[in-house]
Amino acid sequence: MGQDQSKAVDSPADPKTEESSSPSAHNSPPSMESLLAEATAFGNEDANASLEAKAQKALECPCIQNLRSGPCGSQFSAAFLCFLKSTAEEKGSDCVQPFVALQSCIQTNPNAFPKEVLENDEAETQEKPSEDYKIIPPRWAVEPTTSPKTKL
Amino acid sequence: MSPVVLIRGVAGCWSPVGSRRSPQLPNSPLPNLVSSFVDTFVDFSVTGIFLPNPPSPPFSKTSYPSHDRLIAVGDLHGDLLKSKQALRLAGLIDSQDRWSGGSSTLVQVGDVLDRGGQELKILYFLEKLKRQAVKVGGNVITMNGNHEIMNIDRNFFCVHPSGLDEFQNWAGWFSTGNNMKQLCDGLQKPKDLYDGIPSTFPGIKQQYMNGFRARIAALRPQGPIATRFLSKNLTVLVVGESVFVHGGILPEHVDYGLERINEDVRDWITGSRETVSSDLVRTRNSLLWLRKFSNETAEDCDCSLLEHALSTIPGARRMIMGHTIQRGGINGACNNRAIRIDVGMSQGCINGLPEVLEISEDSGLRILTSNPSDHQNRHDLLIPEQHGPREVEVQA
Repeated sequence: MGQDQSKAVDSPADPKTEESSSPSAHNSPPSMESLLAEATAFGNEDANASLEAKAQKALECPCIQNLRSGPCGSQFSAAFLCFLKSTAEEKGSDCVQPFVALQSCIQTNPNAFPKEVLENDEAETQEKPSEDYKIIPPRWAVEPTTSPKTKL
Repeated sequence: MSPVVLIRGVAGCWSPVGSRRSPQLPNSPLPNLVSSFVDTFVDFSVTGIFLPNPPSPPFSKTSYPSHDRLIAVGDLHGDLLKSKQALRLAGLIDSQDRWSGGSSTLVQVGDVLDRGGQELKILYFLEKLKRQAVKVGGNVITMNGNHEIMNIDRNFFCVHPSGLDEFQNWAGWFSTGNNMKQLCDGLQKPKDLYDGIPSTFPGIKQQYMNGFRARIAALRPQGPIATRFLSKNLTVLVVGESVFVHGGILPEHVDYGLERINEDVRDWITGSRETVSSDLVRTRNSLLWLRKFSNETAEDCDCSLLEHALSTIPGARRMIMGHTIQRGGINGACNNRAIRIDVGMSQGCINGLPEVLEISEDSGLRILTSNPSDHQNRHDLLIPEQHGPREVEVQA
């Protein structure tokens, strides 16, 4: 399944218009195949084609390729695509289905989006918090061998 | 099975010409969209809520002119269901939980945190209402109670076990969100959520360790939840003739300066200030702990002290407070110059009947109380008069 090359837009996308709401006839989150089909079918509507094309283009950007790979890559792509196209007052509120799919995938694959361990991080974790770092716990959380009134 | 991706080049990515790994401009739209998507996804995963589009309304002011209609609600303590009942009773939310209060003002006088398991859901819900209300000329003002400050201070004495669960769940999604942002070139790498927090605390049951770490991370000064929600809270508020505070105000607090108080607390929460004075928010006579005007036996209230405090605030005729549970429901003392609105409605308190205080130009002060037949076990607390609004009872 490849991207539709013929939908290329030559001029650079204007950042201002990319956030503007355009009329969307789609209520349910579309699959990748249906997106392509719709992009073709609604090719005459400039606004929709523009939103579709931009959304598709967004998926090609290098900055999210890491997110699109791995066990939850396709769920991410679907959820992100839906979010991009969402024109609801609460942006993304019409994306419950792909959001839930992404949630489920993450719960099944806890390491789907792994933390990058950078050198800086390792240096920071060497620093121990001060011994004065205390909490006052609730009684029900205290180990029985310790007096509940002790401030730890 | 992801589609074949061709790296087409820069025109479609709104990024400057360069190699695949070249840094993008900070205001390049796509990384911001990714960040926005992640935030939305995390919010939804934690609470089921989609917030209306930003921006969050500006910081509340310390004082406002008097308003057509104002509703004041007392301590909520992690009980979302009772919170919604109170708001619905006041006509502020509809059956879809959307703001229906029009241009009304809602004031919540603190203590959202502790004793219940839906603290985050309430914080998000109030933020949602805030954004919805602002669009139709309404206003939602949230305030600090002593339990907000306790949690920021890592004093978790009154946390409910389900409260730990909610925060632990939040931390999981929030961390995943941070990892996702880290994977997107062009976004600033988020700081480690648990930076500086010990991995263990002596004497705490092992099963709760992660929950406490999550709570600390969320609520400490500069923590994500503290920043997003608690820093927006006022500590003292004046609307027309009414002064709102969680515990009570003394003349020395007014001397310090009401606006200064709000700034000090906010700056502490956001990390602009190292500390905040304990006399303001922690001691027995502080703004958030005072009970001198809230004694259920109205005669025991220090009315002359109240009068003195009110006299130092221009135009102030009454003080409206939460913090001390009024088992008989909302009531007034000192000739209705002290109105006590904490009814202990949370299940973690006394599961009190939801009641709210209404202040309107048309009808003055009224108590709006819920339908007694919904609370079969509460006959001993039924107000014998009518359902619906009743005049504030003078008990002094």
